[in-house]
Amino acid sequence: MKRLTLITLVVLAAILLSACSAGTSATTWPGLAADNKMAYLADGTYVYAVRLSDGTKSWQYPDKAGTQLFYANPVLTTDGQVLVGSAGRDYELTSLDVATGQQKWASPFVATDRWVAAPLVVSDTVYAANNDGTLYVLKLATGEKVWSLHISQELWGAPVTDGKLIFVTSLDHFLYAVDPQAQKIVWKVNLGGSAPGSAAVSSDGKTLYIGSFAKKVFAVDIATGSVRWTAETKDWVWSTPALGGDSLFATDISGNIYSFGAPNGKNAWPVLQPDGPITGSPLILADGSMVVATESGSLFAFDTSGVKMWDDAPGGKIYTSPVAAGDPASGLIMVAPLNTDFLLAAISKDGKLVWKFTGK
Amino acid sequence: MWDQFILNPFTNVLLFIYNIIGHNFGVAIILFTILIRAITWPLNAQQLKGAKVMQDLQKDKEWLDIQKKYAKDREKLASEQMRLYKERGINPFASCLPTLIQFPIIIGLYQSITRALAATPLGLLQLASSIYPSFLNGALLIPLNSRFLWMDLGRPEGIPFPAGFSLPFLPYGFPTLALIVAATTYLQTKLTLPPSGGGGPNDQSAAMNSMMSVYMPLLLGYFALNFASGLAVYFVTSNVLGIVQYASMGRVNWRNLLPGGDKTPPAKPSYKK
Repeated sequence: MKRLTLITLVVLAAILLSACSAGTSATTWPGLAADNKMAYLADGTYVYAVRLSDGTKSWQYPDKAGTQLFYANPVLTTDGQVLVGSAGRDYELTSLDVATGQQKWASPFVATDRWVAAPLVVSDTVYAANNDGTLYVLKLATGEKVWSLHISQELWGAPVTDGKLIFVTSLDHFLYAVDPQAQKIVWKVNLGGSAPGSAAVSSDGKTLYIGSFAKKVFAVDIATGSVRWTAETKDWVWSTPALGGDSLFATDISGNIYSFGAPNGKNAWPVLQPDGPITGSPLILADGSMVVATESGSLFAFDTSGVKMWDDAPGGKIYTSPVAAGDPASGLIMVAPLNTDFLLAAISKDGKLVWKFTGK
Repeated sequence: MWDQFILNPFTNVLLFIYNIIGHNFGVAIILFTILIRAITWPLNAQQLKGAKVMQDLQKDKEWLDIQKKYAKDREKLASEQMRLYKERGINPFASCLPTLIQFPIIIGLYQSITRALAATPLGLLQLASSIYPSFLNGALLIPLNSRFLWMDLGRPEGIPFPAGFSLPFLPYGFPTLALIVAATTYLQTKLTLPPSGGGGPNDQSAAMNSMMSVYMPLLLGYFALNFASGLAVYFVTSNVLGIVQYASMGRVNWRNLLPGGDKTPPAKPSYKK
């Protein structure tokens, strides 16, 4: 009897400690991308392709769950690949066939840590920022490493480009500009705090906009790396700011939405605060309206002057940036919540639920 | 509730220590474990005292006679045991209550380490919401410097094998820290387990002690092998402090390290006769 009690206690302790260690496991919010026909969801052990027409599954990768763990946003390439990095023990960056989900290649090089950031594809080259602080540059066709540059600490934001330089944000408080020709850092800017999101590049290619945990949004001159203006926020800025016309929209983790004039950083609207922390980037639609998702599981749409157009509550907790899918004029808004009974929901542009995808 | 009263305060104290010692998370874990152990020292001492009294009672002749006499009458046995507790001034729960009080503290300590390590975006967001802005400037602390000695405290520990050599069941390399965790857990279990009664074939406490000294090192070694090495640092520190605490109270049984050393004759009783 005592032996049974002891064994029970040991098993209970094991369960308890396992539960306690959840913080170190790779559980987090999913990655999401979409094109005109399909949404691509990187959610834990699987990547799913879901038809926009009816929310049914087209394919999933892999067939059976393995050591891979996906939560970086998938990236679609013009030559029919879906690139997605794994946060599992394998540290693989995988290329899938967009039509079938079959693997085309998987990391013929060794990254030493997880993939949190989505890769950037420029022409036939992939720029992939790893949690090990290294920017890996690969051939798109084969995934072979061409060169790599150790930058700093954890790189969680997807690299972006103005066509010449590659811009990488780091949790080490800096924004880096990398010259791919010279394979070196040309300038860096101290953001005063970690920047888990990416920078946004202005349409004229002259300015970068980036927010950080220093409760600031920065406008940085691309040519020189000097700060043009900064704007204060009430809390840490997690996500990539979004550009819409002459306005820059940013959010913080207290759930505030800011609208700044892109040229000068002056507040365009009064600060909005819908209903919960915001980690996803605002989605700017073709008509200039903006959609924001909150941790409370809600979606809010605002017109160009900051007036609420509609709101909806798909449910769960939404941390992933909402993504526009299908035809830009009449398409859908995709949201991927956490902690609910479905993985993905399609919302119409007027805020009505169209379908939900449960993974089956 | 749990976050508000246990996890968040613990996380902030851990980060406060990390901040004042110059951003070394390994040393912060060690100091934080020492601090928690010091705070719970009186509870530990009370638990040890209560356990010792119970052990001594179970070797008492009158207790053994009662067990034999009322072996088939559970009700009578219970009432006789209660009478004996009363006569000797023993509280049978004296060793359990401090353990129960300590349990949430230990779990909180463990969780605060995992929270501070924030390995994923969701983990970092949870950490952000845990930090008291008036107490700590989280923006300056994040990202934590998780390097300590040869380890990245946010990842399972392992010294890489030579190039070209790998073992599928040891994906992180040679598990030095997991072995240290298993060894210190074995030592702590062996040294702090009380000597068993007489060592007869039906001696249940001897069987339990033997199982504990096997299962606990394996269990904690398994955790150290697979989870963030920051937790393993906590295990090692906690084990060493446990041995030190028992030793300071004169409760370490060095003989237990010898083969057959855990079967000792009854000790002098620690309760009033």
